[in-house]
Amino acid sequence: MPFTKSIIHFLLFLLFSLGLTSCVKDVDLNQTKDISLKPKLQIDLLIFDVDQADFIDTITFQQKTILRDTVRLEFLDDSYVQDDLVEVEFSFKYINTFSRSFHNKISFLSENNTTQRVVEFDIDAGDKENPATTERIDLIEIDRISVIRRSIKMAVEIEVLPGSDPFTGELKFQSKGLFSFEF
Amino acid sequence: MRILLTLTFLLNAILSQGQNKQLLYDVGSLPQSLMSNPGTNISFDRHIGIPFLSQIHFSAGSSGLNLHDIFDDSNPNVNERVSRALKNLTDTDFFTVREQLEIVSFGWRLGNEDYLSLGIYQEMDGFAYFPKDPAVLVYEGNYNYIDVPFNFSDVSFTGEAMSVYHAGLNKKVDNRLTLGGRLKIYSGIFNVESTDNTGAFTTTSTPGGPNYYRHFADNINVRVNTSGYKSLKDENQRVEEATAALLKRSFFGGNIGVGVDLGVTYKIEEDLIVTGSVQDLGLMFHKKDVENYFYTGSYQTDGIEPLFPEAGPGATTLPYWDIFEAEVDANLKDEILNKAYLTWRPYILNASVEYGFGRFYESCNCLVPEFKEAVNLIGVHLFGIKRPKGLKYAVNSYYDRKITQNTRIKFAYTIDDFSYTNLGLLFSTRLKNFNFYLAADNLLGYFNLAKSNGQSVQLGFQFVFDR
Repeated sequence: MPFTKSIIHFLLFLLFSLGLTSCVKDVDLNQTKDISLKPKLQIDLLIFDVDQADFIDTITFQQKTILRDTVRLEFLDDSYVQDDLVEVEFSFKYINTFSRSFHNKISFLSENNTTQRVVEFDIDAGDKENPATTERIDLIEIDRISVIRRSIKMAVEIEVLPGSDPFTGELKFQSKGLFSFEF
Repeated sequence: MRILLTLTFLLNAILSQGQNKQLLYDVGSLPQSLMSNPGTNISFDRHIGIPFLSQIHFSAGSSGLNLHDIFDDSNPNVNERVSRALKNLTDTDFFTVREQLEIVSFGWRLGNEDYLSLGIYQEMDGFAYFPKDPAVLVYEGNYNYIDVPFNFSDVSFTGEAMSVYHAGLNKKVDNRLTLGGRLKIYSGIFNVESTDNTGAFTTTSTPGGPNYYRHFADNINVRVNTSGYKSLKDENQRVEEATAALLKRSFFGGNIGVGVDLGVTYKIEEDLIVTGSVQDLGLMFHKKDVENYFYTGSYQTDGIEPLFPEAGPGATTLPYWDIFEAEVDANLKDEILNKAYLTWRPYILNASVEYGFGRFYESCNCLVPEFKEAVNLIGVHLFGIKRPKGLKYAVNSYYDRKITQNTRIKFAYTIDDFSYTNLGLLFSTRLKNFNFYLAADNLLGYFNLAKSNGQSVQLGFQFVFDR
C-alpha cells in the first residue's frame, strides 16, 4: 500500500526531524552570571532595661555615672558578612523615664578593640508619665562597609549628664540592624 | 546557587518530560504495556527485549517555570524575571525527573494460555515541591515579611534510584475480562526523602518592646532521611570503589523493598473497553547505610542583653554570644542519626475507557485466545501518581490507528500540570518479529525546548513473536 508507506515514512520523518531539529532558542544562558540574590534581613541586636539601681557600683556602693558593656557579635565574622554585605542600617532607640539626660556612645570594635564606627548622641530626659523617646538611625553604605566587616564587638556606654533632678527612673534600649546582602 | 538554578533549568530543557507514559498505555501489541497495566489485553505470545534497549524512558518537568521564563534573551534584566518567577511559583509547583531503563525483558505464553513476563529495570525518580517560603527568605530576606511566617512545610522532596526485579502474570479469564498482576522486588541504590516537615520562622514587630522585633523559630521539625548516601561521602573512596558499591546495591546488596502492580481490562461490548491499573503499590525498607538529619525545636529571641558588670572600656565582660549560641543549640537541635526508615513508592493509577470502530481484525493464529481489536480506537486515559502532598493527575484523549497488521500509530492530547497543548505521537512497527517503537510527548515543545515545561520520549527495540 503506497499510501500507507507514505504515511509511515512521513511520521517517522516527523519524529526523527523533531528530535534532530529540536533546539533551545531565544535564551541567553550567559545571564546566569548576572543572577544575584539581594536579601535584606532585619536582625535584633542588643536590648537592655536599666534603672537607678544599676548605677550603683556593686563594690563601693557609690553611685556611678557611666554604664558600659561589650558584646561580641560573632556573626560579623561569617563569610556572608565578610564577602557579601553591602549596606547596614542600624537603628537605636532609648525610652527614658529618668528626668535626667544621658550621653550615649555606641562603638563597633575590631578584635583588638580598635574603634571602627562610633554613634554618639544625647538621650533626652523624660519623666515617669511621659517617657522620652530618642532614636537614631545610622546608615553605612557600601563605600564604608569595611568598618563593619572589620568589627566583631559592639560596645555600649551611657553616661549620666549633670543635673539636679532626682535620679530615679528607667532607661530602655532597643537596637536592630537592617543588613543588605548581595550574593 | 547559580549552578543549581542552571542545572535545574537545563535538566528541564534537555531531558524530557512528564512522569506519565500515556502513549504506551493499553497498546496491546507492545510488551511495555504490561508494565503499566499487567492486565492489558495483549496480542503477542512471546517477547524478548534487546538488553538495555527494550525501553529507554526519560522524564522531567517543571510545573511552573521553563528556561525561557528566566533566560529570555530579549530582556537583559534576569533578576527581574527571577523575582517575578519567585512570586508566581507556589508551594505546590514542582520539579520532577524520572528515568527508566529496561535491562532485561522477556515473556511467553504458558500452557494454560496465561502470559508470564519477567525482567529487570533500573529506575530513578526525583520529585521536589518548590520550597517557596525558604526560597523567598533566602532571596529577599525578612525585610518585607515582618509578621509573615516562613513555613518549613514547604520543604518536601523525594529521590530514589533502584533496580527492580519483576515477574508478572497476565490471565485472560474469558472473552471479556483480562486480569494481571506483577510482583516486584526493589533493590535500592540510593534514597533521600524529606516530607511532612513542620515549623516556621517568623519575625514579628513588637511595638510594646522589648525590642523592635522578636524572632521566632516555632515548632521546627525538619527531617531528611537518606540511604546509600553516607558511604558515598567518604572522600578517600576511589571512583572504582564507589562504582562497585553502587553495582552491588543493584543486585540486592543494599536496601530491599517489595511491591505489586495490578491491572484489569474489561470489554463491556466488543467495541467498548475499560481498563484500570495500579503500579508500584509497595514500600522500601531502609536499614543499611542510613543517615538521618534532624532539625527540631522552638526558640525565640529579642536580642542579646548586656548586664553592665564592672569593667573598663572595651573590655569583654561576659561571654554573651557563647551563652546565646548555647541557648540556641539547646533549643534547636541539629542531630545526625542512623535510624532505619520506611518509604512508600510513588504509586501510579491508570484508568481508561476506549471505543473501537471500523473493521475488526483477529489474531491469525487460532491457538491464541480470542483477540479482536478494532482498526481505530479512541479513548480517554486518566493517570495519577502519588506525591508527598497528594496525587498529580494527567488526562489524555487519544486516537489509535492500526495502519497495517504490524504498524500502528497513536495520537494523544494530554492535559497535565505542565501543559495544555501536549500533543503526543507513538509509532510502533514490526519487521517480521523485530519490533521498534518510538513515542514522543508534547511535540510542539520540541520546536523550542526552552519554552517547554515538559516533553517525553520513550523508545525501544525487541523481538515479539506470535505462535
